[in-house]
This record gives sequence, C-alpha cells and structure tokens, in this order.
Amino acid sequence: MKFLYSDTQDYVDPKYDFLNDRPNPKRERYWNDAYAHELMREAPYDGLLVAMSAVRQAEGVASSKVRYSTAEEQRMLRIGARKYLRFDGPKFKDLMLMGDCGAFAYAEHPQPAYSPEEVVEFYLDAEFTHGVSPDHIIFECDLENPPASAMPEAQRRFEITLENAQEFIKLVHQEGDFFEPMGAVQGWSPQSMADAADKLVKMGYGYLAIGGLVPLKVDVIKTVLEAIRNKIGPEPRLHLLGFAKADHIHQFVRYGITSFDSTSPLIRAFKDDKANYYIENGEGGLDYYTAIRIPQALENSRLMQGVKRGSFSAEDLAKRERVALKALRDFDQERGSIQGTVDAVMDYHQFLVLGEGGDESAHAKALSKIRERVQRTLEARPWKRCDCAICEAVGVEVIIFRSSNRNKRRGFHNLGVYHRHLKRTLEHSA
Amino acid sequence: MSVYQYSAIRARQAAEHDVFVFAANPKEVLEFAQIERVGRSDDGQLKGFQRHQIASHIRDIRDYLSRADALLPNAVIVAFIEGVTVRDVGDGRLEVSIDARKTPPGFVVDGQQRLTALSGLDKPDFQVFVSAVVCKNYDELRQQFVLINSTRPLPKTLIYELLPTVEGLPQRYTSRRFAARVVERLNFTGGRALRGEIRQHTNPSGVISDTAMQKLVMNSAAHGAIREFIQYEDREDRAVSLINEFFEAVATVFGGQWVGMSPRVSRLRHGAGIVAMGFVMDLLHSSQGATTKDGFVPGLELLKPFTAWTSGTWKMDDCEFVWNDIQNTPSDIDLLTRHLVSATKRQLRKLRRAANA
Repeated sequence: MKFLYSDTQDYVDPKYDFLNDRPNPKRERYWNDAYAHELMREAPYDGLLVAMSAVRQAEGVASSKVRYSTAEEQRMLRIGARKYLRFDGPKFKDLMLMGDCGAFAYAEHPQPAYSPEEVVEFYLDAEFTHGVSPDHIIFECDLENPPASAMPEAQRRFEITLENAQEFIKLVHQEGDFFEPMGAVQGWSPQSMADAADKLVKMGYGYLAIGGLVPLKVDVIKTVLEAIRNKIGPEPRLHLLGFAKADHIHQFVRYGITSFDSTSPLIRAFKDDKANYYIENGEGGLDYYTAIRIPQALENSRLMQGVKRGSFSAEDLAKRERVALKALRDFDQERGSIQGTVDAVMDYHQFLVLGEGGDESAHAKALSKIRERVQRTLEARPWKRCDCAICEAVGVEVIIFRSSNRNKRRGFHNLGVYHRHLKRTLEHSA
Repeated sequence: MSVYQYSAIRARQAAEHDVFVFAANPKEVLEFAQIERVGRSDDGQLKGFQRHQIASHIRDIRDYLSRADALLPNAVIVAFIEGVTVRDVGDGRLEVSIDARKTPPGFVVDGQQRLTALSGLDKPDFQVFVSAVVCKNYDELRQQFVLINSTRPLPKTLIYELLPTVEGLPQRYTSRRFAARVVERLNFTGGRALRGEIRQHTNPSGVISDTAMQKLVMNSAAHGAIREFIQYEDREDRAVSLINEFFEAVATVFGGQWVGMSPRVSRLRHGAGIVAMGFVMDLLHSSQGATTKDGFVPGLELLKPFTAWTSGTWKMDDCEFVWNDIQNTPSDIDLLTRHLVSATKRQLRKLRRAANA
C-alpha cells in the first residue's frame, strides 16, 4: 500500500538560523529551500499528489494561502511537476506522481471548476504518472442507502462526476495515454458509490479513486469499501483520496487498497492541540507528544492583539520569550531542571491563553492542562531519541512550536515516522 | 534610574516652546523616555499613541545598523511634559537635565523601531541624535505625534527608479533592483521596440507601465528564462538582450497592435498584456530555444490568431470576453497568461504531430 503526500508547497530553508530566527541571508525562496524528500535521507512518502486547485486559480476555487503564483504554475507546466518538485533524481524517478482536481476547494461551487479538456491538458503538461478524473464532492454518506430521487443535489453531482469520467478517459486515450487515468468515485451511500465504481470499471478504468471520505468515520468508510469490493470484485485497484484517518490505515488492508494520500502527519505538527510530534514507541504503535509553544512575541497574532489593545507590553513579552527559549535550550543541554523549564515556558505561554479572553477559572484550567502536556514532553525528551536527519540537525528546535521553519520540519519528521511505521505495520500484517 | 545630563543646542521656533537636540546612547534614551503604545484602559478610554512594533521593520533596521559603517543621521524625537530642566549657557547652547529617578518622563514620538533595533545590538558607543520638545500637556504631545507621523511616503515607482543606483539595501529589494536596472536599460539604451516607450518618473511620455515591465523581469528571473542565466556573469546583459529581441519580434508580428499604441487602445501594450506575454517569452525560450527576434517570430505567428489585442473577443476555455475586458488585476493576468501559453503550446504540439506524421 502506497502512502502519497499531497504537495502544498511545503519546503523549509535548510540554512535557517534558529538562534536569531533569521533565514539564510542569501536565501531565494523555492530555489534554496528543501522539500521533505530532499532534506531527509529517504523520501518520507511513496509518491506525491498535486491538486490542480492548489496550482491554478479558477472561478469557484476557494482562495488558500498555499496557492502557486502564476510564475510558479507556468514553470511547473513548462518543465513538468517532477522536475519542478525536484522529485526526479534516481532515488525518486519511479515514485508515483499523481494529479487530481482538489475538488474540496470548489465544493461550494455548483459546477467543478475545471473542464475535462482543461484537466487533461494540465495533467499532460505536468507529466503526472496518474491523473484522477474531474469530480464534484458529495459530502453526505447515508448508510440507509436512500434512492437517488431522495437526494437530488447528490444525484446531480454523482452524474456530473460520471459524465466527466467518461469524457476524461476518452480524451486521455486520444492524447496517447501518457498517464494512467483514475476514475473518481463519488456517491451519497455505500450502494451509490459501489454503482459509481462499477460504471467506472465498465468505462475502462482499472484504478479508482474514492473521494468524499474526509468527514466520514472509520466504520462508515469500511462499509463503503465493502460495498464497492462486493460490486467490482478484487481486481480494480483503489486509491483513498484525502484519507484523514491515517492512523487507522492498517485496518483497511483487507480491502486491497493500492494507495492513499494524507496530509495529516504534517498538518498535525502545527494544527493539532496536543499531538504534534510522532515517535514509534517500540511496541508497534506510535506515541504523540505536544510541541512546546514559544511563538514569536512580535509576530504572533494573538499576542499582537493584546499589545494593540494595550493589555500586554511588547517589551515585557519579548523578555519572557527570550527567557523561555533559553530555558528550553539549556534543558536540552542537561542544564536546568524540568520544573524550572516548565515554569519558564508557562510564564510566557500564559499570555497566549490570556489573549483568548474568558474568565479566570477557565484560564487556570486551560493552563494546568497545557502545563501537564509540556511536562510530559520534557520528561520524555522524544527529540533526543529520534535519529532522523531533521532531529539530528536541529535537535530541540524541532519540538518548539514557533514559525514555519520549525513547524514544517516537525511535520517532515512526522511524515518520516509515519511512513516507516506504516511499512512495518504492513509487513507484519502481510 | 538616575538623572541624565546633556549639552544641547536650541533652535528658535515658537516662543512658548523649548526645542533642542543632543546626542545620547539608545539605552539611555529608553531609560529616560517610554514608548507609550496606544490602547484602551479598562473603562474604554484611549491611552497612549504609539503603534505596535513591527518585527520585519526592526530586523531590516538592525541588519543595516549592525554594519560598522552604519549611520543614523536622522534624530529620534522625544517629547516631555515635565521632568526636564534646561539652563541657557549662551550662543543657543543649553545644559539639559532629565530626571528619571521615579519614572521615565519622556515619550518617544518618533523612532521607536530604530531604538528597539539598536537596543538589541551590541554597539555601546553608538549614539543617536535626540530631538526634544517640551509640551504643555499630554494632548499637545499627542498632537505633535500625529503631525510628525502623518507624512506622505515617497511614491513606490520613484523608489524603484532610484533602486539601481543604491547599494546596501535590504535583501527583499534584490529582485526588484535587478528588474529596475534591466527596465532602465531597455528604456534608455535598448532597441527600437522598447526604447523610450516605458513610462518612468524621468520619462513621463512613455506609455508602457514600468512596474508591469519590472514584473515581467521578476517573473522570468524567478522561474523563467532569466533564471537560467543565473550562472553567467553577464546575466543582466543577457536579460536585456532576450527581452529586447522578444519585443522586436512582438513589434514585427503584431505590427499596428504594438507600434505607437497606448494601453487604452491595445491590450498588448497594457500591464496585463505585457506581464502575460512575458510567459510566452519564457515558453518559446524553453521549448524552441528562442533567443533572437527571428527565433521568437514563428512562435508568435502561431499565437497571433488566438489574440484580440485591439478588437474582437478573447475565446478562453468556455468563455468569451470583449477585447478590452481584460484588466490589470492578478486574476485577469493569470487568465490571459494561461490562454496565451496554452494556445501557443497547442499549436506547437500540432506542428510537431504534423512533422512526425
């Protein structure tokens, strides 16, 4: 089973100066920066997925911070995505490079943002190895299997997705089959998704991409896969699009999943409340630790809001920030106690909680919870136990929740841990 | 905290005010003057006046001031209501005494980011000029703050035009500086297609937007043909020559839609057209190896039927736009770029297929 990572322009400055929090003075974004597969000893995934909606603006595509500029899009389409993503060395050249439309970004729009012609041209120019037909997300999944007539909007999207798939595979053949077409499955129930899968197989697709899984619970996804396999048999290959339940993937082995994509190990490094740092626990599972939040006093928006309102002093925050950073770095060098370090971290951290508003007892409760988690991380010192290229190079900085260069490195580390854990789990269950 | 003494020079201005200047160490300034940031007290009253610190601004200043040859000739401004006494010693000279034993009596009216930047630097001997004003009360002090800080910044285009002649600027100006230099050369020493055609402060009769031309250079230098020249010493010459040759080809192929046209009557001379055509230049350079006018002409000929620079309609994907509906916005530039590049690529593919058949 292959684990694909969905590219969202995740790269870091390999020469970042952590002590002064400055990029390398000669740095040119993208050119001097490194992707996870460049920074680590081996790629922390079996392939990359590029969503068209992250690269190309269109009517109905929600704006996101991680969109390619016109110059970047044009370069990718001149030289191909593999070269653009520097995923083309001998180490990577056989790994999958898959394109999809990123239907999530235009889910609110009545029609898909891109036509099949435009999508095929995009995939051809980007030189993907695999490309998913343009789909339109159906979010609901009703285990009661209601008839189409009861779900008019879902049915409309179901039909758009299938019509697009028909047109898409025809165009792919016409253009000379330069990549493997994947049929997108969308439906409002296990039964309708199985029907969609069946129709796609009859159109000639040998590889299906199951969409709309993001909001679904593990058991619902299993029911869906059961229904699909019952209908189409064991042969057609399946990909799970945007699979948020990466921690549960081993439970899906029996459905014959060829590949899935997920961003969760990276995203959780900086979007999760507590599970920010992954490490294998030696007993076949993963342990999760909270990263230690020491945001930049003059840049963190919550702190700056407090400064603007006049309730915090910028000079005072900057002083406590310096103390917290120093305490943590000293602790890493075996100078200083756990309690002293926790105190210094929390002395600064309290302003993040105070900046949220709310009453005093709520603050106290939140702070004591955070204190516990910080203490657990410090006691375990997980960054000392990891031998990945990132933890070796930057040490304690990887556990500090502070600006993109640390947070993304922690995300890369998580991807590496997750990828290795997945491979081991699959070997054991084979 | 203590009492600070300085020799100062007084300027004769309004009779009821004291205005004087002296030199002091930044650390001292922060001890006898506070930065009172604007905020609200618990009962909703406005207090203070200074804006918050801006980390990137402070970093820029710190980078510059950390150099051994750094100068800071402009003074920081500190206002006092009380806590300061002056003694005339003749010839407009003063002895100033600032009493900071209880609290810092001064308020930093201008220069807080400079002071913060300096306070984080290890430069104990570096002094700044302090221009001090004594006000009657807090309202007058706030009035001084607004008057001093409501200046009009220089127009961006003037700054860009000055960039090529200025050394030692922050890193973020590097790409703009290169682009400004290339555009300046195209405008004043380039070939016929562009010479004198670009509007700058020093060339008000030009019609092509200088910022659009700079954008073209920056795009290509970041991700296109000019990026590929990076290993050459004469990168700038190559960039000037490539753009020159490309626009010679544009003038040849599009003729009356280019020559003598204003952006209002030809979208080819308009900001959106210029930036979008930059990507066509990069495409033809990378896929056809074009570097000269003759190298660019065949590709542009293929593109020509799909354009509507001065009349008619653009046919893009499933949509149609009247020729002058294209505006100088990022999304229109993006749309036009994609249309021009895709149309050219499609024609090139067709040609290749025909050649192989």
